[in-house]
Amino acid sequence: MDQLLPVEIVEAGRVFPQALSACADLDGLLRLKGAYVGREGSHAATLMDLLKAAPKEQKRELGAAINALKQQWEEGLKARQLELEAAKKQHASRADRWDPTLPPPVPAQGALHPLNRLMDRLVDVFRPLGFHVEEGPEVETEAHNFDGLNIPEDHPAKASSDTFYLAAHPELLLRTHTSPVQVRTLLRVAPDLVARGGIRFLAPGRVYRKDEIDPTHSPMFHQVEGMLVGHGIGMQHLKGTLEYALRALFGPETEIRLRPSYFPFVEPGCEVDVSCPLCGAKGCRVCKGSGWVEILGAGLIHPNVLKYAGIDPTEWSGWAFGMGVERMAMMLSQTPDLRLFFENDQRFLRAMGGLD
Amino acid sequence: MWIERKALAQEIPAAAALETRQLSELLASLGFPVDGVASREGGDVLDVDITANRGDAMSHRGMAREVAARLQQPLAPIAMPTLAEGKPVVEVRLESPACPIYSTAVLELGPGTTPADIQSFLLALEATPKRLPAVDASNELLHRYGHPTHAFDADRIRGAVSVRWARAEETLVTLDGVERKLVEQDLVIADEAGPIALAGVMGGESTKVTEATTRVLLESAWFDPKPVKAMARRHSLHTDASHRFGRGADPHMAMVARNLLAGRLQAWCQATLVGAWTAGAAPATAKPVPLTGTLLTRIAGEPLALAEAAEALRRLGCATDLDGGTLQITPPSWRHDLMISEDLAEEVLRLQGYEHIPSVLPPLEGPPEPLSHAYLQRQRLARRLAQLGFHQTVTYGFISPEADAAFAAPGNGAEGRTLVNPLGQEYSVMRGSLLPSLQAVADQNLRQGAREVRLFELAPVYNCSPAGPVEQFLLGVVWGGTLGGEDYLSPARAVREADLSGIAKDLGWEGLSPLRSLGQGLFGFELPVESLPRMGARIIPAFSPFSRFPSVERDLSLLVDLGQSHVALTSAMRAALPKGALLDLRCVDVFRHKSLPEGRQAWLMRMRFQAERTLVGEEVDGWVAAALAAAESLGARLRA
Repeated sequence: MDQLLPVEIVEAGRVFPQALSACADLDGLLRLKGAYVGREGSHAATLMDLLKAAPKEQKRELGAAINALKQQWEEGLKARQLELEAAKKQHASRADRWDPTLPPPVPAQGALHPLNRLMDRLVDVFRPLGFHVEEGPEVETEAHNFDGLNIPEDHPAKASSDTFYLAAHPELLLRTHTSPVQVRTLLRVAPDLVARGGIRFLAPGRVYRKDEIDPTHSPMFHQVEGMLVGHGIGMQHLKGTLEYALRALFGPETEIRLRPSYFPFVEPGCEVDVSCPLCGAKGCRVCKGSGWVEILGAGLIHPNVLKYAGIDPTEWSGWAFGMGVERMAMMLSQTPDLRLFFENDQRFLRAMGGLD
Repeated sequence: MWIERKALAQEIPAAAALETRQLSELLASLGFPVDGVASREGGDVLDVDITANRGDAMSHRGMAREVAARLQQPLAPIAMPTLAEGKPVVEVRLESPACPIYSTAVLELGPGTTPADIQSFLLALEATPKRLPAVDASNELLHRYGHPTHAFDADRIRGAVSVRWARAEETLVTLDGVERKLVEQDLVIADEAGPIALAGVMGGESTKVTEATTRVLLESAWFDPKPVKAMARRHSLHTDASHRFGRGADPHMAMVARNLLAGRLQAWCQATLVGAWTAGAAPATAKPVPLTGTLLTRIAGEPLALAEAAEALRRLGCATDLDGGTLQITPPSWRHDLMISEDLAEEVLRLQGYEHIPSVLPPLEGPPEPLSHAYLQRQRLARRLAQLGFHQTVTYGFISPEADAAFAAPGNGAEGRTLVNPLGQEYSVMRGSLLPSLQAVADQNLRQGAREVRLFELAPVYNCSPAGPVEQFLLGVVWGGTLGGEDYLSPARAVREADLSGIAKDLGWEGLSPLRSLGQGLFGFELPVESLPRMGARIIPAFSPFSRFPSVERDLSLLVDLGQSHVALTSAMRAALPKGALLDLRCVDVFRHKSLPEGRQAWLMRMRFQAERTLVGEEVDGWVAAALAAAESLGARLRA
């Protein structure tokens, strides 16, 4: 039969299956279709011309052969078209499908500064006990920073080697602790202390001491001061409040320990240790194996501090504490270098600060 | 201060039974925390922290008194030779009340040196033995009993010795070889040629004991703490002696220490006594301090019997007298810190142990106060900015004068805000603006490879006033770098002014844009915290009705001049539109391209209308036409 057909047609028929499977898209298939079974110029058209011109006796046999060939091509094309259409549909549906593993746009994430976060947390802890926040200026008078706090005239902290003073105002300094807020607040509330039923507040803030900048010293740092004035206030109330607060902060299993100490503005005075929150008092590097970490200084308000503010120490009494925020932050986070808190690298802030 | 365990046990034998750890805990519970323990040849040495009010505790004897009182065990007696008080060998004149007693002796030194055990005791305390008996014995006594003494080379003293205030222009070369210019507030020991020692602080070079010394004059006095502290500070001479006299030594130890010193010289180098005498007398003991049961119970938090308190105070060396319901307490001569009733209550609690104090929450006597608006405002702003992707910074309140001058308000001169003793010039001015600090932090972050910096700080700045700097809390915000480009939906682009302007708007700022360009694609603004709207006073604001009829949106694409002000255009268009129906009017797209006529840009203006009825197409068309006409009056054209 083949000898009836021109050699190029036979060749086209032979390569048809490969050509078909090589067709990767519908456009290509359309071109292939045109080449094989198109109306004009296609292999099928050539065959039809051949059939027309064939001697009559050959027509029957030739016609059958041509039809078979055409049918084979058309079926092949149709099947391939279905295949390609299905593939296209599948691609389209894949393109629409969202890949949840692709990194999505994430809203920019900021952070509160870890020191502020810690101070906010302390305020949160004391709020249920009725404490509010009092604040005072960082540029203070000597009277508020020292005299009102029963700090003697010749105390070394007053020296210009320890405290920053202002050039144009020799009586003004950068407060060396948040305690002047005690003095300011007591002076303010003294006239109506009875009507208020005493006072209790926290004073978080920035303070300054003339220390060179190194891994454990900074000329500016933060303190949180706490103070309570009422009737018949004693050491038991200081202990009770701190036990509540430090448990709220570090967990209910936390123990506290008071040790005698000395600060001019309290009497009795004490240092307060907390059972190491990092090792659960088992002993670690932070607590130097002792199970205890020193956390703050406190005591009952010295009668002279109350007197300075015009409050009668035979009627009123109270307690006060002061806590170093950086020290606590470094202890809790085990940050090795204090300077990191003031360098404000966004990576540090994001890792340490968080949002609330 | 170093405390050698062995030497401590010589003063309080019961302490010998305690392990180092137990002893450390015991001292800490008495208010003397142990900062460290060193193991030396002779045994453990404890580094004990002593608070500034306890000059009496700065010796082995002082520590032993505390331990003895807590353990209720006796102290070892002080082995002391008795020295017959005789006639002055040299005249001693006490010319200032700051030195009420001066006990002295003159001895001829013989051969012999400091015993080995004393040398190793001094070495254990990190003191250097000089192998000069007079010097080493004085040093040993200071550490053992806490009373500073001094030995002069008697042959180098000219004439009478006086304790007096220095005269202007006088100088003294102290033992450390430094020549000191003296002032009239310096208390000195002087001979007839001039000062030979700074009283209670340091001896003089000219009369110091050397190997060649054959005769010594001993000094065991008591000096008022105030001038001693002042001298130590004035001359930056913080010595073992000035620490102890400065915190208050025991005046009754003057003669005792003189006797002990003389006795040691007799024993160590066969010294012979030429004479011993004392000028002046120890000051009278302090007045008794009362302690009532009421006060004690209030401070202790539980009823404590006064008899029990008296017993505890007697263990500390106090004389007690129960006078009706009040204890009258006379503190011992070494305790200068027991001045008021509260001091005594503390001593009772301290001996008992603070661990016995009960734990009670204080009762609320009045209503709690709310947090202040200013405080809450800062909290709110900080949280909002953190949510918006900004990082809160904390920077120093002082900056360099140059950085300050670049940003401080014109009227806010730096003179009134400058420190007299800054850490350095770069930390010398209390800042008038937060932006220099934020700029520095932003630059540092960008240098460290951050793609984008978003920072804010809430802190005071300082404004000059005649009375001194007045603080004002500012919010400073900076934003710079590259935005987006980190995921498949957000294209990368540089941060623009408008981005930060949107933040100011988000925080409620409605005034003119406060923005400043801080260079290198960094933008910032700072605003007084109180200038931003507060959280409303009402928990839920009053209801304002809104229409439930559909709104209609229309866009106008306008060609406007490149210099066209948006606010001018919108107010002109707004004026032409019905107030009751216009919900919003704004430019939603800016298009600038070379295909547009030169000097022109295209703005897509969007109008949104809504009313208490359904709007009809024709009336909205009319409004839009009016708005267009208004825009055209400003030179705008409808873009084809």
